[in-house]
Amino acid sequence: MDGVVQLQRQLADHTALLFHEGFLDEQFNQLQQLQDESNPDFVVEVVSLFFEDSDRLLNELAKALEQQTVDYKKVDAHVHQLKGSSSSIGAQRVQRVCIAFRNSCEEQNIEGCLKSLQQVKHEYSLVKTKLETLFKLEQQLIAAGGSFPTL
Amino acid sequence: MGPAIDSASRVHVSGMGNGVFPVHGGGLSERNDNNNNNNKSNGHPFSCKNKLTALVVDSERVCRVLEKAFLLSFGVETEAVETGEAAVELIASGANFNLIVIDMFLPVMNGPETARQIRAMGVQSRILGITPMFDERDQQEFLAAGVDEFIEKPLSPEILIPILMELDNQI
Repeated sequence: MDGVVQLQRQLADHTALLFHEGFLDEQFNQLQQLQDESNPDFVVEVVSLFFEDSDRLLNELAKALEQQTVDYKKVDAHVHQLKGSSSSIGAQRVQRVCIAFRNSCEEQNIEGCLKSLQQVKHEYSLVKTKLETLFKLEQQLIAAGGSFPTL
Repeated sequence: MGPAIDSASRVHVSGMGNGVFPVHGGGLSERNDNNNNNNKSNGHPFSCKNKLTALVVDSERVCRVLEKAFLLSFGVETEAVETGEAAVELIASGANFNLIVIDMFLPVMNGPETARQIRAMGVQSRILGITPMFDERDQQEFLAAGVDEFIEKPLSPEILIPILMELDNQI
C-alpha cells in the first residue's frame, strides 16, 4: 500500500512538472477529459498516433532538407502538419519551435531550417520520453491497485 | 462496478491516513468505474439539447480524431473525412450537417476550395475554417470561400461550446 501512495505522489509530481516546464498545456487536460469508461485508453491511443506521425514527419523533414534543391513548399507542409498535431495534444514546446521553423522556411533560410529541425527533434524527444514515463507510472499505479488521480 | 471495490479503496485511503489524492468511490478499479457518480460529460458542463450533426474534414490524423472526439463528447453526431472530395461527395449524397469543420491544408482540393464547393451546393451550415498556423492570406481566402469563422488549431471546448450553444438555440 505504501507503493500505491508513493506511485500516486510520483505521478502527481511528474504531471505537475510537465505542465510547469511547459512541455504540456491546457489542451492536454482537455484530452484527458475525453477519456472515460467507454474510452479507457483514449489518451494513450491518441498520443501513440502523435508519436507515429511525428516520427514519420521528422524523418521526411530531415530528408527534404538534405536535398540539393530544397523544396520549401514541402518542408512548410510538413511543419504545418507537425504544428497541427502537436498543438492538438497540447505539446506546447514542440508547437512553439514549429512557428520559428515556419518562419525560416518562408525566408528559405536553410541554416535556420536545419537549426529548427534540430530544436524540434530535441523538444519532441523530450516530450515523448516524459509522456512515456507518465503512462508507465499510470500503468504501475493501476497494477499496484491504486486509483487514478483526477485532474 | 462493485461495492467490494469501493470499500477496498476506502480502506486503502483511510488505512494510509492521508492519500495524496482524494480517492472517490470506485476509483480503485482504475477507469472502469470512476464515473458511477458522474456521466461522461464530467468536466464538460455542456451537452446539446437538440440532436446536432457535424462533419470534420481534416487530413491530419491526430487532429481529426480529436476534433471528432470533442464533438462527440458534447453529444454531437459527428462524421470525419480526410479529404475535401470526400466531404463534397458525402454532402452530394444528401447528408446534412449543422456544423462543418474544414482544415486549410487538405490533399488535392484545399480547405477554401472545399468550402466554396460546399457553399455552391446551397449548403447553409455553419462552416468553421481551421488551420495549424494563423496566416492572414489563408484567412482571407477561407472567408472569401464562404466560411463563417477562421481559427487556429487546436480546436478546443472553449471554441466549440459557444458555437454549439448558438446552433443548439437556433433549432
